Amino acid sequence: MKGRVTSSALALATGLGFATAALADGEFAGVAIEAKLIGGQQYEALYGRIAEWEKATGAKVSIISQKNHFELDKEYKADIAAGTTAWCVGSNHSSFAPQYPDLFTDLTPLVAADTVAGFVPANIAAATIGGKLTMLPRAQFDVSALYYQKSLYTDPAKAEAFKAKFGYDLAPPETWDQFRDQAMFFAAPPNFYGTQYAGKDEAINGRFYELVVANGGKMFNDDFTPAFNSPAGKEALQWFVDLYKAGAVPPGTTNYLWDDLGNGFASGTIALNLDWPGWSGFFNDPAASKVASNVGVAPAPKGSAGVRTGWSGFHGFSVTEACANKEAAASLVDFLTNEDSQKLESAAGPLPSRTAVWDYVLEQAKDDPYKSEVLAAFQETAKTAFPVPPTPYWIEAGNLIFPELQAAILGDKTVDQALQDASDAVDGLMKENGVY
Amino acid sequence: MTRNRLPPWLVLLLPAVIIILAVVAIPLVLSLYSSFTPYHLTRPDTLWKWTGSFNYIKAATDPNFWKAFGRTVLLLTIALNAEMLLGLGLALMVSKVTHGQRALRTAMMFPMMFSPILVGFQFKFIFNDNVGLVNNALQSLGLTDVAIPWLVDGNLAMFAIIFAEVWTSTSVFAILILAGLFALPQDPLEAAKVDGCTPWQSFRFVTLPFLMPFIYIAMAIRSLDVARAYDIVQVMTNGGPARRTELLWTLIGRTGYVDARMGYANAMGYIAILLSIGFTVYFFLKLQTARRELGMGD
Repeated sequence: MKGRVTSSALALATGLGFATAALADGEFAGVAIEAKLIGGQQYEALYGRIAEWEKATGAKVSIISQKNHFELDKEYKADIAAGTTAWCVGSNHSSFAPQYPDLFTDLTPLVAADTVAGFVPANIAAATIGGKLTMLPRAQFDVSALYYQKSLYTDPAKAEAFKAKFGYDLAPPETWDQFRDQAMFFAAPPNFYGTQYAGKDEAINGRFYELVVANGGKMFNDDFTPAFNSPAGKEALQWFVDLYKAGAVPPGTTNYLWDDLGNGFASGTIALNLDWPGWSGFFNDPAASKVASNVGVAPAPKGSAGVRTGWSGFHGFSVTEACANKEAAASLVDFLTNEDSQKLESAAGPLPSRTAVWDYVLEQAKDDPYKSEVLAAFQETAKTAFPVPPTPYWIEAGNLIFPELQAAILGDKTVDQALQDASDAVDGLMKENGVY
Repeated sequence: MTRNRLPPWLVLLLPAVIIILAVVAIPLVLSLYSSFTPYHLTRPDTLWKWTGSFNYIKAATDPNFWKAFGRTVLLLTIALNAEMLLGLGLALMVSKVTHGQRALRTAMMFPMMFSPILVGFQFKFIFNDNVGLVNNALQSLGLTDVAIPWLVDGNLAMFAIIFAEVWTSTSVFAILILAGLFALPQDPLEAAKVDGCTPWQSFRFVTLPFLMPFIYIAMAIRSLDVARAYDIVQVMTNGGPARRTELLWTLIGRTGYVDARMGYANAMGYIAILLSIGFTVYFFLKLQTARRELGMGD
């Protein structure tokens, strides 16, 4: 690096002792970077820092698209089809990334090795697809932990009735079997439900996937033949079916997505809720949530194989292969995921993807019991978290699997029939695409 | 040296030809070609791999495609008939209003002014099983004590979608039929009255035959609309759950833009277009017959 080191980067590197790439004044003067970024109020604070990077490097960033990841995904596919991929920086997501093997460049030669070493190794492993480091993760790491209404566990009458019925003490569930027992026990429809789950699209596939893994199974074999039509898969799907049949979940749960779940738990009508870290502040905010100050958070329960569920994903930033100035683009990506950026983002609740920032947020939360409980639960769950299978056909296969899962949940098919049909459909998809 | 000049008729037609080629013909030919390839949006090279009728055979032998096809026909049939009957009733009532008819006609068109996406969100909320207006009203009135899964049960979900479609588009029929009523000559009606016809007989044998061309035009327009139903359904159920409300265009949209299998989606699209062509031809034949009966056409 040539030139003078900027004051902010210097303070970061010397005062705090963090390893980060320093920015050189005017290093990319005159360079124009076009970016397609995920849009939303919660991401704006980070984008406010782009001006600092522009000032330090002399480059100019134009945000040419801001959409959610589902819409960006469609836009990227259209860009690939049209050959219009010369924009440089794009928001990426670990669940979508395997679909674009050639869109984004390998960041390894563009980013310092010690910068990469500062990230949680599991995140870097999930960001590496086909040997290419396709993105640098930002402080938007997602894994689900268990939110519950604490008051349900402090009521002696409930504790006694539960023990009499199930033979063990009522406490926040540590296994998914206990979770099912308790959800059925707490349910009093139509005004109160034991739990709820996202019932469509990639959301239910993800939940099914993590339960299959927790039960000792897997979605795909090493050659990507479908492997979910197995005892572990049947056990996982049966869990969803049992809860639906028992009326322990709202009858519309097969139409629910994340917002429905978050708002449902905040409405006080749900006892147990497996959900993402981003909701923790909302759930405990008295202005937004009826369960504020009554929220407990525990690590995700374990399946029958003694493994925690831990379907995880994270947002990141990538550089396109067709970008005219990859060095400048990689510098921006590095800047948006450095420690200062991650501290800024995680201050609002999201989990970081840098080891040092994890330590920092835990230290910052030590005087706030709720925040400490949230972080401890998510940190424990994150230890054994796992990303989606590294196949470009994850989303496509998912669109074949989820209607079959719904068919079993709603009673249109048996668990065996639904998984057999889903497996056959995915097998056909893989064969048609020459995967095997 | 003389310059070759294009004939004037070609020069005059050229702008129209170029626009039609660019906007309609080229995309149509390209999409038709891609339906014979395994074209995948994220793998542009697949556009050059010819697979013949593979996509068409795959669609034709896929039960899910034909179920979606059948559901679309069902939606078309029920929605069009309901809209026609309600639109006819609305138009007959509005035509009798003597004061404030203009304001009523304007108010009648309000639902058409909403974006279908917003209509979808509105009815998704109204029919929500937990916090929706319908369930809350039914429970408050003591008519039920369970949460009715409006958007989950196959029949109820189709009803909810048809309800939303009918709410938003009945006024298309009402406006066109009202135009027919205003153009209705009074002589035959007066003659019918003199001959002793009851109001029902006047309506059945004089008014209605005269209105039929207007009804068939509205049917043809709306059949094209409903046959490509996407936005309201996408928002309310996205074709689910368990494909219970899957229509042709939710299936095709997901295949093309989420799965990125544009070749296969185009093949399904071309088969789906047959449905629209079929309904349009049917309604135009009916329109011709109705006009002939009125002595208006050949």
